[in-house]
Amino acid sequence: MLSLSIYRSLLRLYPALHRERFGEEMVAVFGEMETDTVSKSMIERAAFWIRETAGVASGALKEHWRGLGFDSIGLWFPQRRFTMRTEFRFPKTTAVLMTIILAGVVLAIKKGETISSSHVNPPIGPLPPTHSVLLGGIFLTLAFFYAVGLIGWAILFAMRRSGVHRLAETSGGPK
Amino acid sequence: MESWPLTEPVLLILLSLAEQSRHGYSILKDVEQMSDGRVVLSTGTLYGALRRLLDDEWIERIEEEDTPRGRQAYRLTTRGRKNLQLEVGRMKHLTRLANLRIVVKEA
Repeated sequence: MLSLSIYRSLLRLYPALHRERFGEEMVAVFGEMETDTVSKSMIERAAFWIRETAGVASGALKEHWRGLGFDSIGLWFPQRRFTMRTEFRFPKTTAVLMTIILAGVVLAIKKGETISSSHVNPPIGPLPPTHSVLLGGIFLTLAFFYAVGLIGWAILFAMRRSGVHRLAETSGGPK
Repeated sequence: MESWPLTEPVLLILLSLAEQSRHGYSILKDVEQMSDGRVVLSTGTLYGALRRLLDDEWIERIEEEDTPRGRQAYRLTTRGRKNLQLEVGRMKHLTRLANLRIVVKEA
């Protein structure tokens, strides 16, 4: 059947592992669904094909993305409009971003220490070594705030004070 | 692990399997019927969800002899049933809370 051949071709978008695991099932289910649409109008059949094509394309993208080590692409394709995370999560992304920014600043300071220019009058650079003394201070400050943040998070985590408790405290009826 | 709360398609798939074991096509039809035609899953969406639920051990494939690969059936595991009950409990709580709030507002 032509439609099954087209669908099989679409499945090539999936990673091989997924195809091997579910490919035959997906083709069989698609075949049954496609049979159901035979008696339906052209618009309904077109809607069916659009839905299937979009489903396979987005599903394949998600599987490839998962293969790269990410479990979801909800950030780019927010299909979970009504979902909210109730778990108490450590802000790993923020910590990583802050570290990257700090590394950039440190690198810039280090680079500045080595840059000198004799083309301008008076000649500038390299930066006086006193500036590099700041690095120690920056590291200490960062370590301090990391520690404070970690302790704060640990306390909140231990108390499960993520906001979920508020929901649990509202079970009483009207008094 | 599936993120909480469950998405509507995943919840409907689990509810479909809570009643009895089903194969893919039967799940699609049951989901459509349960939602009065509001949720119509594509095969891509269904098998994406089934893959995650299998990986998280919320559902399992039923190994049957003489079953073609295209007619694999699935059923809830004990873990899946427990998590489904938790989710339904959470929803009940939320509904009760919503009713209370609405009554207070209207009074």
